[in-house]
Amino acid sequence: MSNFTIPVGPLHVALEEPMYFRLDVEGETVRHVDITAGHVHRGIEYLVTKRNVFQNIVLTERICSLCSNSHPQAYAMAIEQIAGLTVPPRAEYLRAIADEVKRVASHLFNVGILAHLVGFESLFMHVMEVREMMQDVKEGIFGNRMDIGANTIGGVRYDIDPERIGYLNEQLNKVEPAIAEIIEMYRTNGSILGRTRGVGVLSNAQAIDCGCVGPVARASGINYDVRVKAPYTAYDRLDVQVHTLPDGDVWSRAMVRLAEARTAVDLIRQCLRALPEGPTTATTERPPIPVGEAIGKCEAPRGELIYYVRMTDSPRPERVKWRVPSFMNWDALGFMLKDAKISDVAIIVNSIDPCISCTER
Amino acid sequence: MLEMLTTPIAALLFPGGLFALAFGLALKGLDRRLAARLQGRVGPPLAQPLFDLVKLARKRTMVPDIAAEPVFLGAPLIGAVSMLLCAALVPIPGVYTPDTMLGDLLVLLYLLTLPAVVLMIAGSASGSPFGAIGFSREMALMLAYEGPLVLVVVAVAMRTGLGQGDLISFSLSEIIAYQQTHGAFLFDPVMWPALLAFLAFYPANLGIVPFDIPEAETEVLEGPLLEYSGPALGLFKVMSALKAVVVLGLGVALFYPLAPDGALGLLVHLAKLTGMMLIGITVVRLSCGRMRIDQAFSFFLKWPLALSLLSLAIVALA
Repeated sequence: MSNFTIPVGPLHVALEEPMYFRLDVEGETVRHVDITAGHVHRGIEYLVTKRNVFQNIVLTERICSLCSNSHPQAYAMAIEQIAGLTVPPRAEYLRAIADEVKRVASHLFNVGILAHLVGFESLFMHVMEVREMMQDVKEGIFGNRMDIGANTIGGVRYDIDPERIGYLNEQLNKVEPAIAEIIEMYRTNGSILGRTRGVGVLSNAQAIDCGCVGPVARASGINYDVRVKAPYTAYDRLDVQVHTLPDGDVWSRAMVRLAEARTAVDLIRQCLRALPEGPTTATTERPPIPVGEAIGKCEAPRGELIYYVRMTDSPRPERVKWRVPSFMNWDALGFMLKDAKISDVAIIVNSIDPCISCTER
Repeated sequence: MLEMLTTPIAALLFPGGLFALAFGLALKGLDRRLAARLQGRVGPPLAQPLFDLVKLARKRTMVPDIAAEPVFLGAPLIGAVSMLLCAALVPIPGVYTPDTMLGDLLVLLYLLTLPAVVLMIAGSASGSPFGAIGFSREMALMLAYEGPLVLVVVAVAMRTGLGQGDLISFSLSEIIAYQQTHGAFLFDPVMWPALLAFLAFYPANLGIVPFDIPEAETEVLEGPLLEYSGPALGLFKVMSALKAVVVLGLGVALFYPLAPDGALGLLVHLAKLTGMMLIGITVVRLSCGRMRIDQAFSFFLKWPLALSLLSLAIVALA
């Protein structure tokens, strides 16, 4: 068999974002992978220190479109710790709703792309159609399809009235059976199973070694979810079901995501039922932010997202550092791609749901 | 009178050449339109494949520095010409019977392998690693589906030959004449295994999901076609449009050539081809994902090969 070096990326039809893999292949089998990142560095960590605490809510939201709710949320959580603000209960529930709405859309997007990579275009179109219902929810409730601008320091920037609750419930009632149907399809369809079962396997031990987070870790049997292990906003009052699967292949990761999407629908319903009355922000004025440092973390659709913020006596943070889930899952690709087939490279890379704009801010 | 058509006209105007090209492009347009409708999209205009072709014809062909230029540019030409010839070899029952001087089923079989060979040559001449992967995949796929195809054709030829008191008959006109008097092979249970094998063969030959492995966009970026642009790419599009007409026409001739004479016969023929395209191609490609090359290879060595062998055995014994 002849040996080639194949470049995958930085621009490649199968990759949504720029990343570069240099594959040394033998016939159809990948023997060695070099992964290079750093194509879309935008200097956001620097920019954050040039803007004040409140402007940064807007800036952190623009780090990534798919986790655009998790970034400002973790950032706001860190600032609230420094300022000693208590988020009112209604705002906590509203934050959880925003989080879960984004989670459904993000997971369906990834699972849809999997179908596209497998060449199953009809399934891709169908999943995206279901996701579109969640996009409508975002547009209807928050006024925007991707950057929903839900968070602010000390609470949320939106509120929902009975009319919107009715609309949300109506959409959830449509989305839930559609997700159940998609789960059944991914569980039984021969094309999907043939291309994803036993592909890109990440064993439990490897996942622990790489420090994997999110659906990637849970598909390898690691029962870790920030919403349960370190509950934030309203998650300590919600019944969060954590889904794990033992096999660690591409299929397991897709199934974990789909199960989480269904759970997210359930969580939104729990929130709507328990939604207390009251204010949506801790203070009506902009609160003063004292000197100090803090860490906030939340479960983004891709896994644990950690924000570290240090404030000095300036209105601008001295340092903001975030550790994104894709960064932790990135290394696991080395294990997954080892001895993979060329046909499976794109499928495996997509299965960690890599978010390059988060990782290379 | 149509039977008197000279060979050049047959190859260039009707039923090969322009006519086959126009019909092939229309089939592709229909395929894309139906696919879009089934996915809840509006889809492109029916003439989109033609528009694409016109656009490509007006562009420049870029030749990569590391490509072997004569081979790189010659490959699409050979592919398109071979398919033009093929189109003239495929009979339209009741309307057109190819000149026996031009060749029979065996010649058609040989010519039919040319597009795959041309794609392999194009892929390796382009100098791109994706072309090289496309080359090896095309070759593996071809090895997998050619066997069953030959066996299917032999089964049909033997059925005809034995029916006529001969052993085997590779003349398409005899195969058609036999079916017109004894009933189509489509309704002949003895031929059903061969029919099934043929149904698996033609999506693979036409390179559609689940067998579009050599040109898989999300895996090898269209493989052999990656480096092609302009008129050279257009020639490949011409080749694949003609190939659709040829392969589907072959299917009609082998299994269901019953049709009235004259213009009505032509319409019936076109309707059959359209039906085969929409059911055997569009619906199939929408209802499954792509196979891996190893999966496709073992699939062909398992089912279509077994079916065609079975069919051959039944025909020989019956």
